[in-house]
Amino acid sequence: MDIITVENLQKAFKGRAVLKDITFSVKKGEVFGFLGPNGAGKTTTMRCMLGLLRPDAGEALVFGENMAVSDRLRGRIGVLLEKDGLSDRLTACENLDYYARLYGVSGRDERVREILEFVGLTERKDSLVGTFSTGMRRKLGIGRAILHNPEVLFLDEPSAGLDPEAQRMVRDLIADLSREEEMTVVVNSHNLDEVQRVCSTVAILHDGRIRAFDTVERLRSGGGAEVRIVLSDRSSAERALAVLSAATGVAAVSREGEEVSARLDGADVPTLVRAMAEAGCAIEEVRKDHRSLEEIYLSVVRQAEGSA
Amino acid sequence: MNTILTVARKEAGLIIRSRQLMVSALFVTVIFSGTATIGSGAEGGASIGALIFMVITVTGIFMSYIFSGQVFLREKTEGTIETLLCTPLSLREIWAGKVVGITLPAYLLALAGTGIIVGIASVVDRGIVLPPAPVVLHVLVVVPAFIAVAAGLLGFVQLLLGMRENQIINMAIIFGVIFSFSLSAGLAGEGVVVGWGTEGVLVAVAAALLALVGWATRFLNRERIVTTIP
Repeated sequence: MDIITVENLQKAFKGRAVLKDITFSVKKGEVFGFLGPNGAGKTTTMRCMLGLLRPDAGEALVFGENMAVSDRLRGRIGVLLEKDGLSDRLTACENLDYYARLYGVSGRDERVREILEFVGLTERKDSLVGTFSTGMRRKLGIGRAILHNPEVLFLDEPSAGLDPEAQRMVRDLIADLSREEEMTVVVNSHNLDEVQRVCSTVAILHDGRIRAFDTVERLRSGGGAEVRIVLSDRSSAERALAVLSAATGVAAVSREGEEVSARLDGADVPTLVRAMAEAGCAIEEVRKDHRSLEEIYLSVVRQAEGSA
Repeated sequence: MNTILTVARKEAGLIIRSRQLMVSALFVTVIFSGTATIGSGAEGGASIGALIFMVITVTGIFMSYIFSGQVFLREKTEGTIETLLCTPLSLREIWAGKVVGITLPAYLLALAGTGIIVGIASVVDRGIVLPPAPVVLHVLVVVPAFIAVAAGLLGFVQLLLGMRENQIINMAIIFGVIFSFSLSAGLAGEGVVVGWGTEGVLVAVAAALLALVGWATRFLNRERIVTTIP
């Protein structure tokens, strides 16, 4: 079941197109990662989903409705934007209490206490947020966003400014919310490691267009994965090189001694292994290296820049 | 209604808690009320009635100008307004909550100003000087209503416009409101006699202006607010 549906979304500011025909959907319980360089349109897309910006064309629906026209609907989502929404001049406890009242959270005091404990700020509950470090603010911001148990959580750079330990806490938190609460999470991030660890689906955005959109698993094992084949002797390696060079769905092939490497572009490994065996290659070892999300991201961005 | 009061409580609390802001506001109130009373040589109820009529209304409106920057503009410059726009509150609820939040402390200062005028006049008169009944109505109804009108108008403009436009237009609005009020009082004649008729007209004008500003909030939209965040 799709919780978020974005179709043919277009948005321009002062004649400059920022979003050019964006289409994707997010299923219930999915952790969806939005990746892209600065200015790619990630925040604009999120703002359209949140009803903060009106699309010029297309639509961005959450729960099948436009957030801009339904105040009630916004009670079902949690949001942590670039600015955390916390007032410097209120204490941690007062900030949470304020939002708990706005969302009509029942058992307010208990819930505020729970959240403070959850984000590890119980001891600083009476300190002004203006005295907090970036990491503490971010943690409290996440606590504020989940205070009312939303069904969908929108996070814009959730781990920005956090130390490695706090980043891990955020990752674990997102994973827990998705697994245990079946919360749907949309994450805008530059942190490729974070996205790779927590997101089930990823869209890579560049210059207002989605350049890649798939599950992390499929992106990593799909086009561009590298296969290393160790052969028993040099002549086998040369035969394997010839077979792989002629095969369809292989982007590049190289040989170094008895080892042959092939970068795949659609070909599947069992078919290639069978072809090499039929050509009389003595195969000792086959190893498929998944590309990291960083490699995929960089290749997509470079490809997009090259075609621009 | 609850959400409006929640926003109002937070905003009023933050204003009152801001020591520097409150000291400045109190200083302005004391100077306005004190110098006007001493300068006018006010003696007797009718005389301080005219003084309260003018000085306290202008003081209240001026306070709404000072506080609206803290409430509307600050939320925009700090970017926290964007998160508030993602809560289940309508734009009108957010606006109304903030207007009430400004009106409460501004009105408290206006009351303090009234106290200063009455106090000084009583000392000068060597006895307790009380303002006439229409002036009491003015302080209780007209002053808070005009403060709310000014706060509502300023808040509307501050949400709608970018920072540069706001710097110019806010000044124009506040001095426009004060000028219009002073001009009306001037046209009414030297030494305004504050009667039930004047107060009735002012209550009607304030109610009409409040309704007008409230109606104007329908022209606010989330995109306009988000795209004018600096």
